[in-house]
Amino acid sequence: MRVPYEWLCELSGVGAPVDEVARRLTDAGFEVAEIHRAGEHWDRVVVGEVVRIDPHPNADRLNLPTVTTGDSEIQVVCGAWNFAVGDKIAFAHEGARLWDAYSDEPRLRELKPTKIRGVASRGMLCSNRELGLSDDHEGILILDPDAPLGRPLTEVLGDEVIEFELKANRPDALSVLGIAREAAALFGTEVRSPIPAARASNGEPWPSVALHIDDPALCARYSAAFVRDVQVAESPTWLRKRLELAGMRPINTIVDVTNYVMLETGQPLHAFDWDTIRGGLIGVRTASSGERLVTLDGQDRELTAETLCIVDGEGPVALAGVMGGLATEVTDATSTVLLESATFDPVSIRRTAHRLALRSEASRRFEKGLPPELTEPALRRCVQLIEAIGAGRGEFLSGDAYPAPSTPEPVSLQFDRIERLMGLAYERAEVRRALEALAFSVTESGDLLHVQPPFWRRDVTTPADVVEEVARLLGYDRIPNTLPTGGVTDTVPGELDPREDELRDVMVGLGFSECVTYALTSEARLAHLVPPELLDADPETPLGDPETWETVHRSAMNDAGRALTKRLLPLHRAPLQIRNPLSSDESTLRLTGLATMLETLRANRRHTDRDLLLFECQPTFLPREDDLPEEPLLLTAVIGERLSAGRWDETATIELPFVRGVADEVLARSGVDTSTVSHDAVQHPTFAAGQAVGVTRSGRTLAAYGAIEPDVAAAYDLDERAWALLVDVGAVWKASAGPSSFTPWSEYPAALRDVAVVVDEGVAQAEVLETIQRAGRPLLASVRMFDEYRGEQIAPGKRSLAYALSYAAPDRTLTDKQADKAHNRVVRALQHRLGAELRG
Amino acid sequence: MRERIDELLAAARTELAQAGSDEAIEAWRVTHLGRRSALTGILRSIRELPPEERRAAGQAANAARQALEEALAAHRDQLSRRADESDTDVTMPGYPVRLGRLHPLTRTLREIRAVFAPLGFRAVSGPEVEWDRYNFELLNIPADHPARDMWDTFHLQQQARPGDLLLRTHTSPVQARVMEQVRPPVRVIVPGKVYRYENRDASHESEFMQVEGLAIDERITMADLRGTLTHFVRAMFGPDRELRIRASYFPFTEPSAEAEMSCHACDGGGCSVCGGSGWIEILGAGMVHPTVLANVGYDPGVYQGFAFGMGVERIAMLKYGVTDIRSFYRNDLRFLRQFH
Repeated sequence: MRVPYEWLCELSGVGAPVDEVARRLTDAGFEVAEIHRAGEHWDRVVVGEVVRIDPHPNADRLNLPTVTTGDSEIQVVCGAWNFAVGDKIAFAHEGARLWDAYSDEPRLRELKPTKIRGVASRGMLCSNRELGLSDDHEGILILDPDAPLGRPLTEVLGDEVIEFELKANRPDALSVLGIAREAAALFGTEVRSPIPAARASNGEPWPSVALHIDDPALCARYSAAFVRDVQVAESPTWLRKRLELAGMRPINTIVDVTNYVMLETGQPLHAFDWDTIRGGLIGVRTASSGERLVTLDGQDRELTAETLCIVDGEGPVALAGVMGGLATEVTDATSTVLLESATFDPVSIRRTAHRLALRSEASRRFEKGLPPELTEPALRRCVQLIEAIGAGRGEFLSGDAYPAPSTPEPVSLQFDRIERLMGLAYERAEVRRALEALAFSVTESGDLLHVQPPFWRRDVTTPADVVEEVARLLGYDRIPNTLPTGGVTDTVPGELDPREDELRDVMVGLGFSECVTYALTSEARLAHLVPPELLDADPETPLGDPETWETVHRSAMNDAGRALTKRLLPLHRAPLQIRNPLSSDESTLRLTGLATMLETLRANRRHTDRDLLLFECQPTFLPREDDLPEEPLLLTAVIGERLSAGRWDETATIELPFVRGVADEVLARSGVDTSTVSHDAVQHPTFAAGQAVGVTRSGRTLAAYGAIEPDVAAAYDLDERAWALLVDVGAVWKASAGPSSFTPWSEYPAALRDVAVVVDEGVAQAEVLETIQRAGRPLLASVRMFDEYRGEQIAPGKRSLAYALSYAAPDRTLTDKQADKAHNRVVRALQHRLGAELRG
Repeated sequence: MRERIDELLAAARTELAQAGSDEAIEAWRVTHLGRRSALTGILRSIRELPPEERRAAGQAANAARQALEEALAAHRDQLSRRADESDTDVTMPGYPVRLGRLHPLTRTLREIRAVFAPLGFRAVSGPEVEWDRYNFELLNIPADHPARDMWDTFHLQQQARPGDLLLRTHTSPVQARVMEQVRPPVRVIVPGKVYRYENRDASHESEFMQVEGLAIDERITMADLRGTLTHFVRAMFGPDRELRIRASYFPFTEPSAEAEMSCHACDGGGCSVCGGSGWIEILGAGMVHPTVLANVGYDPGVYQGFAFGMGVERIAMLKYGVTDIRSFYRNDLRFLRQFH
């Protein structure tokens, strides 16, 4: 809400500088967004008059007006055409500072003498935008014909305007009077109400109107007043100036006065041309289906049964509180006006305004809930002003339907409630003074305060509301700093798991940098995770019909791959859709973090070519029938192709065991006994064949990792190989053995033995390892694979695996003989069970 | 003879220690181990000794010769090692050994949690997709209330009950979720992602992080709120920060407040960080509205307390001097690696 400061001063009686008034009002909850100071920079801008307009010799689109400022005539080059000889205009002399009309950022530029297409220009005719009055740069600003020639423009237009960012709870503050009341309370001045006292009708015969309210819940009150001998003309300068400063466009006397009174009192008013109202009747009801109305903007609208409208004897004439009808609009020919001042149901107005996307100054006020007591005073003020500017003669009140009068309920509270809530003791007298300054009436009985809010403060309904009034008026700066005492909470459901922090720290320790990507994505973006040939052709459903999609994919998946589609990569599921997305790229909630993380990898690839280790630990969104979606926490790590290999210039290509190493460490640091999980080959369209692994424990998928399918990687411009690790964090925590527990080890020296065995390619490393572990019991303390070899010395179809074993007993040093005996058992087991040959 | 050898040995060792160059070492070798050296002379003269002395003298002379040869080798070794050492360029870069980095929002969230944890605030989380009931209704924002305009909301497409599911616009619904399950005293903070239907620019995001705070008991006051927030801004931005609170409006608090801290960049003098005012808006807060308390089954006549909410990006931007909120979600390594 833009409040011309001089208007505010007039109503509040406050004379303090604008900055101080703005600060005190902000402290009290009336947040000032900005103070506009029109004219602050106008030191070389004066009122000029156009005396001649010559054509530009070299440019058809320019002209050469000559302007007089009273004592001299100056010719300039001008690109606007909206003025004529004799018009008063704002003339900027050389050296004036004007707002740059062609810059996106507000920027002041000094006007310099210039030549435009060969003609000298020594000044400028200004537009609203160049003066900082508004964004209008369509043509130059034409001043009032009475503007004094040669005088500084500030004398005609300069003013300070406070722009408030008002809160939803104070409809009264959407008015100059409402803010003046606050200012007066804060500065201890008297409000100078502009509303005239009621007066009796002068005996002449006025027309009469029958008012009918269908449902008082939708229209609490409807007051009306007649104005006759109406002169629809241009309003006087002072009125137009205030409207313009407040951000409204002047139209004509009648409309301007209704807008002015709305700005002043907060009560929207509407003027009907009485001669167009049929049947001498005004009613308020919801529309019947099929009814239509051509509104002021010329649109023929079909009304729904929800739309509250104003009707005459035959049908709708206005959308109540939202927009008037074209047929009953005040025109130059209007001679009698019926002024409407009514109280409509905020919800109904809000819905209609939203539905029709017609949010006006009037609807904004109605939807916050206006007091019915306001209709009649606003009418009085309106009629008085119309008369004052000679635009007609009226009655202060010609009709008033107010079926169920109501007043705000008084609020009672214990005096010590204020201290109990604020933690600060107030004097009884100052509390009283504060409330009375805000026009509350206060009575006391013992410890109880009975507080009667004024009619415009229906937002005050509870003791807490009264406490806030006292606290904000006496100043929040009085509130001391203390810390809460009393008990604290030991545990709360939904507490953040500290292991989440640890997980992030583990990833950082492994060299990964943390990302936070957007949760909003689109099916088209998710579809990049699937090779194009598997996608449905229908662009409407890029991931295809979920069922078809799954059928297609089952052929491309094994059981381990299918297991990933439950939580880690549920790409076949229909994601949650946003009803009102900002863009089609952000129209669904993500099903996996992999798509956005590969996008992040791509973005970073442009400037980093190695050590691209990124992860994210954020939820995904899996829809559930008639319930909130499941939001499992997923760890998603992606890895670019190359890694620094310990020396300056060397890089290593990432291979599957590197990613497994990361997975193992994540599991181990989450308390999972990694010897109890199994790693199985995964076939899934997102992963490269033979290069992907699913990690399960007791049949439950904990994680998956592998190389991204080359066609998928190409969709992310990742020409080299990219790797990913996906971890179902909740599943990992469930698989965790719990807090760390200590196991003692043997203090006696261990006997070390190596073994290298040659096995068939079909024999998995896990089988070799398991054979060693079983046969090595109970003396085998540890075993570690340290080499894999294929090559000349090994028969084709076979490979060699080498292990370092360590044997120890808990209670004694093993002799060589004992260690050899244990080791031989291992070797024999390898030979017999796996057909392994010893090597070397 | 024995004494003579020992003397020679001692003298040779002393000279060797002083031989710092290759030439000096060669000269020493010629002097002490060459054909004309005293030791060689002794060895030659052994045959002139009586036979019973020859064996012992020979052994002693040979041992001395061996000792000198070893000393020579050791000395050469030491010198070359010294030479190597002085050749080392200690300004060579380290081999790449790199930890990753935590996201600045994670770091900031952890810092915020660490400030509130000692005050007894437990960190809890809640769902990002919410029911209208938790995001609005229980928080005293009924349907069609004009206050709904304060939160531009993403709604979810839904067949059964349209409009009911939304992306939470603040972390406040978790207040209601916690209070429904826990009896006072309650002290929690709620970090998490929130969503607003809002076009992105340098200072606006449609997805961002908030931290909500809630403390409810029988005697928790607005002064406690102010003290807690003052402690917070000083812990985060330094002991010289001042906090000021101004009246405001939120449907779920009464009284409501907007909190500002004195600018940490200019100490309140006015600069570009604080837009010249000396003060920086950091959060909204207030005493939990009695209707909200009643909605979750607390008796507003008995229990009261405060709530506050802040934007984590905003805190991080102020702390680290980040000027574009979108940087947090671009995940550019050149950005991420700046937060050590």
